[in-house]
Amino acid sequence: MPDLPKPVDFAVPVFVALIIIEMIWARRNAPDKYEPKDTLNSLLFGFGSTIAGLVFGGMIAALAMKAYDFRLSTIPWAWWAWPICFVLDDLAYYFFHRSAHRVRWFWASHVNHHSSQHYNLSTALRQTWTGFFAISFIFRFPLILIGFHPAMLAFCGGLNLIYQFWIHTEAIGRMPKWFESVMNTPSHHRVHHATNPRYLDRNYAGVFIIWDKMFGTFTPEVDEEPIRYGIIKQLGNFNLIWGVFHEWVGIGRDLISAPLGTKLRYLFGPPGWSHDGSRDTSDMIRAKWAEEKND
Amino acid sequence: MMMALQLLVSLLAVLALGRLAGRLGLGGERRIADEAHALQLAAEGQYGFQGVAAAVDMAGYSALVRDNANHHVLVASKGNNFITRKLLPPIEGRLDRKFLTIDVQEPDLAPVTLNLGDAAQYWASGLRHIPNA
Repeated sequence: MPDLPKPVDFAVPVFVALIIIEMIWARRNAPDKYEPKDTLNSLLFGFGSTIAGLVFGGMIAALAMKAYDFRLSTIPWAWWAWPICFVLDDLAYYFFHRSAHRVRWFWASHVNHHSSQHYNLSTALRQTWTGFFAISFIFRFPLILIGFHPAMLAFCGGLNLIYQFWIHTEAIGRMPKWFESVMNTPSHHRVHHATNPRYLDRNYAGVFIIWDKMFGTFTPEVDEEPIRYGIIKQLGNFNLIWGVFHEWVGIGRDLISAPLGTKLRYLFGPPGWSHDGSRDTSDMIRAKWAEEKND
Repeated sequence: MMMALQLLVSLLAVLALGRLAGRLGLGGERRIADEAHALQLAAEGQYGFQGVAAAVDMAGYSALVRDNANHHVLVASKGNNFITRKLLPPIEGRLDRKFLTIDVQEPDLAPVTLNLGDAAQYWASGLRHIPNA
């Protein structure tokens, strides 16, 4: 496997510098945009995710190389292959991300990124520890089978992750209109992190917001409605370990207590689904909201 | 060895940033201002819940909100934010004169004690008749 540099490794000092700059901005303008315990939690999520990457990254690379043996064609290491790889990798990210919100199995891993009630640059580093266990990496495998080398995909994936860092902020309002229409921006991604019914499960894009517009999942930010961040059932404390594993624990409890014929839906149904209707999915909450709006 | 050193430096940077957020005076306290504020927080946290009355803890850290059907929502502070929980029977509630302690029996939420003054008894009795859904 070609030894390409890891873009994220080079970006980390910039991440730290930008977080400090945003903290200074918050001190002057909106101190409540940060909560020290929440910030420390988010950063520890990022640190733990790095360790998980070190532990499981080799296995994912080995699986990817094995899949590459079965490729249908070979995309060369030509200059033109890079932008195509970047765009298609972003499309694969869209489908991963959409599934991560619509399928509880993937949500159990991805929920970590959403469990903060704050939205600042430290939230961007709030990454999962259990992505390998959830098999989230399979969404890139179609591109490997098309013929993109796993190393090229890993590099493009790193650039994608770096892009997504700066959009986790309330310090930036709107970007120029042409930029907002094509790219994912702080405004679009604030919508994605919101728990307001109108915003639930919208704007899954990584880099290009066009995917949401193409697949009908785009919702613009409405200035009149203040955003509330986090998840439908907010975590009750700042316990890091509970934060990492709480949804997996919830799945385990439901699998034990649910009637036999319903167990699989607790694994692969949408988050919030329940066989007795005692909980609400995002779709149900949005439907109630839409109904009330139309009344 | 090099990797272990990198991880150590990363961990120290994480701790330093977390400490910096505190030293810069970020965060602060948010309290529940009044009954209207408690009703708003309950409605935001539990979509579809329409509270009609609220009892706010004397210090403003928590509140109990009920609707016309006697459903109750607990509002509790978490950092400089709030969380809500819809209460389902049987409720673990302890009344100690002006203090009402509610245990929702969830691993991530410690029992919440509200100083409700003279209203504590009234709200404690309301908890006995919460509907199932």
